Amino acid sequence: MKKRYLILYLFPAIFFAVVFFIVPLFYIVYISFFEWNGLNAMKMVGIQNYISVLTDKNFILAFKNTIVWILAAVCIHIPLGLMLALLLNRKICGWKVFRVLYFLPNVISITALAFLWYFIYHKDMGLLNWLLEGIGMGRFAKGWLTELGTALPATIVPFAIYVGLTTVIFMTQLATISDDLKEAALLDGAKGWQMDLHIYVPLVKPAIVTNVMLNVAFCLKNFEYPFVMTSGGPVNTTTTLALYIYKKMMNANQYGISMVGSIFTVLLGLCLMVLVNGLQRGKKGD
Amino acid sequence: MKKIKCSKIFIFIFLVLMAVMMLVPFVWLIISSLRPNMELLSNPFSIPETIGLDNYREVLTRQPMLKYLFNTFTVALIAMVIDVAVSVMTGYAMLHRFRFRKKLSMMFYVGLFIPANAFMVPYYIMITRMGWYDTLGGLGLIYAVVNLPFSIMIIRGYMETLPMQIMESGRIDGASTNQILMKLVLPMTRPGIVTVCIFIVINSWNELFFANLLTQSDKSKTITVAIKSYLSAFEANYSFAFAAMVISILPTIIVYVFLTNKIIGGMTAGAVKG
Repeated sequence: MKKRYLILYLFPAIFFAVVFFIVPLFYIVYISFFEWNGLNAMKMVGIQNYISVLTDKNFILAFKNTIVWILAAVCIHIPLGLMLALLLNRKICGWKVFRVLYFLPNVISITALAFLWYFIYHKDMGLLNWLLEGIGMGRFAKGWLTELGTALPATIVPFAIYVGLTTVIFMTQLATISDDLKEAALLDGAKGWQMDLHIYVPLVKPAIVTNVMLNVAFCLKNFEYPFVMTSGGPVNTTTTLALYIYKKMMNANQYGISMVGSIFTVLLGLCLMVLVNGLQRGKKGD
Repeated sequence: MKKIKCSKIFIFIFLVLMAVMMLVPFVWLIISSLRPNMELLSNPFSIPETIGLDNYREVLTRQPMLKYLFNTFTVALIAMVIDVAVSVMTGYAMLHRFRFRKKLSMMFYVGLFIPANAFMVPYYIMITRMGWYDTLGGLGLIYAVVNLPFSIMIIRGYMETLPMQIMESGRIDGASTNQILMKLVLPMTRPGIVTVCIFIVINSWNELFFANLLTQSDKSKTITVAIKSYLSAFEANYSFAFAAMVISILPTIIVYVFLTNKIIGGMTAGAVKG
């Protein structure tokens, strides 16, 4: 390919990368050293913003919550998706219908889903409390999103159970496994779950990496679920990093503080990238 | 033989339970959206006495819901056009060997893990300075940016699975670089492009963060922002809120019902390399 064409074709992507990723990155680092409310003159405060953020227990909480979301993705969401994919892979009667049903929530906006679950958890007219009373466990009924202990798990549950996309990605990979291999394993007398564990799971590793990547990226910018369901409350126990950044800018007008939050989010993203990259390398080594 | 059957029945029951858990909320949502507010408040789970489309009529006349749907679609379309064009060009260039290929490839990969939310202030200032605050173009541009790393990954990944001989034979036949891209590579990349388009539509339908930040008036508000406003403004009138939610999810569900296999298949083309 001629150099002229190469530059021409790569120009748009590089333009976007520079204007929307590299310049903003320097910009947020720059702003993070100032006290600024978005309107008045900026005041240089050195590393004061960093100190206030790192000593802000709400930030620590938001950081911790984001980690909890990522753990929920890796320990609940993805294994559940894999399990469903393996079960559907046995071509149980109606598996195509199940696949369609599981995937359905993925075409619905998260805002609507979160809103719906807000009502499910509602103290007086929520579906969950009504079901609990119905099975004689009325004493467990509570305002799920307003109580300290249950609010964070309650915001994560919808994300954890809507595994349609994850399942479909696993199933696509499962479909590429050759029949010879399956037959050979069957001849060796492998039973259903042995097939799953020893043949299928090792072979879907690339799909595991894809899913980890997609879900980690989602959790890092997860804003809709807590924003709609709890606005980060009660007492900030459900705030995520994205929500923290948003609140510091929109509600508190502390741009400098907000930017420090952003920088830590970016750093967390980079750390996770290195981790996932390692995982990918491990995959190739196999 | 009998044992196998037994386990199959257990699996079947488990699959049904999962489906029920995921879908019961939606059934409840649809039923509730058809009931008057008073009845809903007094007895949310009784067998509905009155059922009707009154809530929908009210919501559609009080708020320009269709305009919001149109806005959401337009924003998605803008992002889609930009992202597909940029990703196809990039993917094609990356098929060739050149000096900074590895570094560039790394940069796109890093982009996947940098949450765009972190850049809300710079983006807000940029869009405001350009005079694009509260316009569909401004939000569309930001959506294009947010989805770009992923769309480059998918389209590039897909192009790499194409047989290289085709480009080779094109060149031997005397096709120019542009012709090879337009006539040979582009048509074969279609499944990857479909994946990207579906992802962007769904993401735009999901997105609340930047929509909330960059839009204000009815002329550019997206459906998610409208739904969110129901939480605060119409707190007491749940049935309106439910009806609004059904309106917001209806278009995607209809599309999904008609294009199920395309969407399920398309979502994963390029996401998994066989």
